[in-house]
Amino acid sequence: MRRKKILLVWGIFVSLVMIPGCAPFVENNTIEDIAPVTFWSISKGEKRKIKMSTLVPPLVNEPKSLLTLEVDLLKQGGKDFNLRYYRELKVGQLRMFLIHEELAKQGIIQLINTLLTDYDISQRMYLVIVKGNFDEYINRQAKKQENLDYYLYRMLKHYERKKQGEMTIVNLHEYKNKLFSPFSDPVLPVFKVAKDNFTYEGTAFFSNDKLIETVKNTEDQIFQLLDNDHYLKFFPIPKLDVVIGHLRSRVNVDLDKNLSLVTINVKLNGRIEEYQGNKNILNGNELMQLHKEIETELEMKTTDLIKKMQELKVDPLQIGTHTLSPFSKPISEKVWLAAWGKMNIKVNYQLYFEALQNTKNNY
Amino acid sequence: MFWKKGKRIANDSSDTQQPVQRKISLDSLKQVLDNMDDVEIIERTTLNDQKVVLIYLRTLIDQDRLNESIIEPVIQCPHAMIYESIATPKVMKIHLLEEAQKLLLTGAVLLNDCIQEQWLVIPLPNELSRGIETSETETILYGAKDSFTEQLEPNITLIRRRLPITELKTEKYKVGSLSETTIVLMYIDGLTNPEYISIARKKISEINFDLFFDSSQVAAFMEEHHHSIFPQFQQTDRPDVCAYSLGLGKLTILVENTPFVLIAPITFFHLFQSPEDYINRWPVASFLRIIRYLSFFLSVTLIPLYVALTTHHYQMIPLQILFVIVESRSKLPFTPFWEAILMLTILEIIKEASLRMPTKSSQTLGVIGGIVIGQAAVQAGFASKVLIVLVCISTISSFLVPNYLMTKANTLIQFCFLLLSSFFGVFGIAMGAVAILAHLNGLTSLKQPYFSPIAPFYWKDWIDLFIRGPLINMKSRPDHLHPLQKWRYKRRM
Amino acid sequence: MTTFSLFDKSSKMDGIYVFFIVNRFQMLFLFFLLPTYLLHPFMIWGIVAMAIFSQLNIRLLCKWLESNYAKKGYQGFVELFGVRMVRLLTFIGLILILIKITVITLGYLEVIHDFIFPSMNSNWIIFFILLTSSYVASLGMKNTIRFVVIVFLCVFWIIFLYFPFFIPPIAALHDLYPLIPTNWTTDSWKGLLLIWSSYSGPEYLICLIPWIKPQQKMRKYLTYANALSTSEYLLLFIASLFFFGSNYLSKSKYPIIHMIRYLQSPMFERLDIILISLHMFVLVFALSIFLLCIYGATRIILKKTSTQPSRMGFAVTCIVLFLCFVFVNNWIWSIKTEQNILLNIQIWLSGITYFIVPTFLLLLTKLKGRVKA
Repeated sequence: MRRKKILLVWGIFVSLVMIPGCAPFVENNTIEDIAPVTFWSISKGEKRKIKMSTLVPPLVNEPKSLLTLEVDLLKQGGKDFNLRYYRELKVGQLRMFLIHEELAKQGIIQLINTLLTDYDISQRMYLVIVKGNFDEYINRQAKKQENLDYYLYRMLKHYERKKQGEMTIVNLHEYKNKLFSPFSDPVLPVFKVAKDNFTYEGTAFFSNDKLIETVKNTEDQIFQLLDNDHYLKFFPIPKLDVVIGHLRSRVNVDLDKNLSLVTINVKLNGRIEEYQGNKNILNGNELMQLHKEIETELEMKTTDLIKKMQELKVDPLQIGTHTLSPFSKPISEKVWLAAWGKMNIKVNYQLYFEALQNTKNNY
Repeated sequence: MFWKKGKRIANDSSDTQQPVQRKISLDSLKQVLDNMDDVEIIERTTLNDQKVVLIYLRTLIDQDRLNESIIEPVIQCPHAMIYESIATPKVMKIHLLEEAQKLLLTGAVLLNDCIQEQWLVIPLPNELSRGIETSETETILYGAKDSFTEQLEPNITLIRRRLPITELKTEKYKVGSLSETTIVLMYIDGLTNPEYISIARKKISEINFDLFFDSSQVAAFMEEHHHSIFPQFQQTDRPDVCAYSLGLGKLTILVENTPFVLIAPITFFHLFQSPEDYINRWPVASFLRIIRYLSFFLSVTLIPLYVALTTHHYQMIPLQILFVIVESRSKLPFTPFWEAILMLTILEIIKEASLRMPTKSSQTLGVIGGIVIGQAAVQAGFASKVLIVLVCISTISSFLVPNYLMTKANTLIQFCFLLLSSFFGVFGIAMGAVAILAHLNGLTSLKQPYFSPIAPFYWKDWIDLFIRGPLINMKSRPDHLHPLQKWRYKRRM
Repeated sequence: MTTFSLFDKSSKMDGIYVFFIVNRFQMLFLFFLLPTYLLHPFMIWGIVAMAIFSQLNIRLLCKWLESNYAKKGYQGFVELFGVRMVRLLTFIGLILILIKITVITLGYLEVIHDFIFPSMNSNWIIFFILLTSSYVASLGMKNTIRFVVIVFLCVFWIIFLYFPFFIPPIAALHDLYPLIPTNWTTDSWKGLLLIWSSYSGPEYLICLIPWIKPQQKMRKYLTYANALSTSEYLLLFIASLFFFGSNYLSKSKYPIIHMIRYLQSPMFERLDIILISLHMFVLVFALSIFLLCIYGATRIILKKTSTQPSRMGFAVTCIVLFLCFVFVNNWIWSIKTEQNILLNIQIWLSGITYFIVPTFLLLLTKLKGRVKA
């Protein structure tokens, strides 16, 4: 009897599984049937449309081609790509999101929101601002170099991990967090396409979701020191014929009570990498003098950079967060931005450089 | 149902065959031993003109000793008492035919003293045994090399030498209506929990079957969960493992004609312990033990995980690895699930074949296996390189589990997980893991929980669970075995 | 086949199991939502305060558990209330448990649906989860209670994965400011209620007393469990403040899972898929304990306590539960005005039961004792 009962239960179970068809799935994620795209490049199209492009097939050593579409909505583009290509393009491995500068200037909050709602899209996806015609570049370059998209990703990842201190690398989560928090404005790296080169240019400052300014070269380097990486491998100062390097910075920001003065103390550890000027830097006094000069130079440049931020009313350094304290009511963002515009700035640098070694005076 | 019916018939027949006790006589014996070619019935006359009949089975007794210690002394016996002239340590008088029959078949000589009308029985079994060799199933580098043989007595000797105490008790039972296999229940009196002993006794007495050639068949009748894939008795052919288990408070069951001894009650984790664990330095031993658990985990989940990731969760694979996988999978005709099933089945076939084949042809098998699995499958485009690597890793790691029965069990688990992962991906694997762990949690060995000391929770026993703690710190016997003597050292008065 | 003994009371469990059970009951489902409701850094104090209240409540519960009525199990209840009242209370308890497990299962289902299988028919998952837990439950109450150790070991370590969120670039101290309540709104009260109801769980120990060894230092184990849950809540909440900042926290539905989604390991990305799957251990454990409770309760209500539990009855319970889940999943769970109604009901109910049950029982016991004296 019991055996019959068990058989009956099994029968019910098996038929329950069989009747609706074996697999309760709609989605097919089998790797050979899909094409996990690694990047989307977005630029401005005609008449308020956006132009999307991506490289197919991703991740395979086959001749690649660039797919380009003009669409109204981001996800619409995702759908239309599928209709154009024989494998379904999936976004679960989307690693880079390249936004054209023009588009970024108009504001990208809609795009960011779309990206955030999709749980398949990794929060680690890198956001990059591109200047110039990226599509053309990638079309040309993909024929010369295999797996271009992959190596691009590896590059970004390399500079993100362990803070290599050359570039601003920002992922979706970091961007979103700064975008939606008071007292901080997001930044993004800017890459420039010039013929066959894809070069890092600097850091883009955003006011809310709109790109308003790009800082380059020295200013960008100072920005890395102040906030982003707190580390810089090389910092050339051509004016003083010196390259300082392996800089590690400790930044201390002080706001006074009535929000009229901000003091920024930066302690720099590092060493002199190269010197071609005419001081005898083996001599203590002259070395001190050089240090002084570097300090003044840095202080000047930093003050300029911060002044620039003040004029633009952006706060990518998150100085506003220093108004917060455990036992007081936080001020509103508006109050802060108003105060920020009028604030006095004082910057102090202190250098702690290692002694020079393996060298001999040339004089 | 059928089984029950069968059992009833067996009971009935045993009831009807209740033997009538018959007196022993030469004629009746001859009748019983009719048509047995190897029976020898010889008559001799002694110096005193006494007639003596000797009956024995040629194949079962030691003929040299028969001549030396029975025939010669008896023939030249100066006095009338034959009984006293026999030069073997054990001589018994018997009266019943049944008894005589049984003894005859265990290798004894029956001697009929015609004058005194008495039957003597002299055990003179032919010690047909191979020498004590090294264990092949549980090999170790350092440590004792001897292993059990098919003979019961030498096996007991091997254990007794290691535990020379009178508390080591041996209880003899016979099981199997045809095979009449002797099994010996061994335990340390005053240390092993009496509950285990009484359970074991009860279970042994309830055994009702005809043939027992191996201890696993005995185990099959003693375990509580017949349908489980996990062994509920540990089988070992190493006397040191046996003695160690006895010392911890477990009991062992020795079975005649097999070198494998049963140890119970065991836990799931005992199957992962190797005798070498107690020989290596403790950090090394702990590391190796962790590796063993890890490799069990890998052998069960690696391929299912591959199938899960490639069928459902491509998002989970880091781009660097995805790059490799996409490259190797892009032109395959099978889905990951079928690919894995195919490769694993082929592998199982090769594994099974290599066990059954004569050693000389196993080289061919190695070559074919290597080429078929390694090269040809990839080149023909049936399987991806990644899968081949994973299959190899998981197979090799499945061999790390010291217990062979466990190795077989985890292949089955792997297939179940494979099916689940193809349906539900990682979620399916987790579901399978819940089910397997719940099953293990419900299992018992000799009515003791199989998953202790985790569930039930005995945190003090964890010193010898995933790690093998320093011996000087293992002062007490494992709590989960409930030994009567807790401490492993002698306490000062 | 052996006899089907679900409620074998031969062996009693140590206090350590109570520790595991209470801790995991407090980490069932509601803690997934916790940061979204708490939002402000000062709610750290809310968690601490509720932990203290919960501790007081546990003291009451322990006092009752040590009383003579508790030791007698079902008979104790009968002495306390009388058979008819017990049946009524059991019925109420049955409804409460039903709502609780429906919410935790469907909530978990929603997580799976959001993060792992967005296009799957979720009834399937209900089916398989229930299948697994009815298997676990069919091994009997004794084994199910033991199973908690495995569950705990398989799941507890997940908390250590939140460690990276306490390392600087993500962790900035100013995310925790201000620490004093500056704007207290009704939402803050709701947050407190949610903390309280996620602390609920120990009250279900009264269903398990026949299996717990009497004369244990129950208070010790319960305190440890409560403290462990508190530290887990705090860790998770602070980590989520660091990660999201209190401004964005309200936008994210399951912040705790989103955080795990951000982690990368060299072998896997999207660790959330693995961890959500692992969380099923807790769910299956809770479901199987409650499944047994429901079956037991039905037997009490139908006056069948003296008969042997039957496979058929148990199977019917499971099937009814499945149908109930499917029904709720398809018709009630999807009704969403501003917030999920059923979830809100559950938050209120579990808060109330956790508050009332120990007090009520203790009071009644004291009263009875006085009457007798």
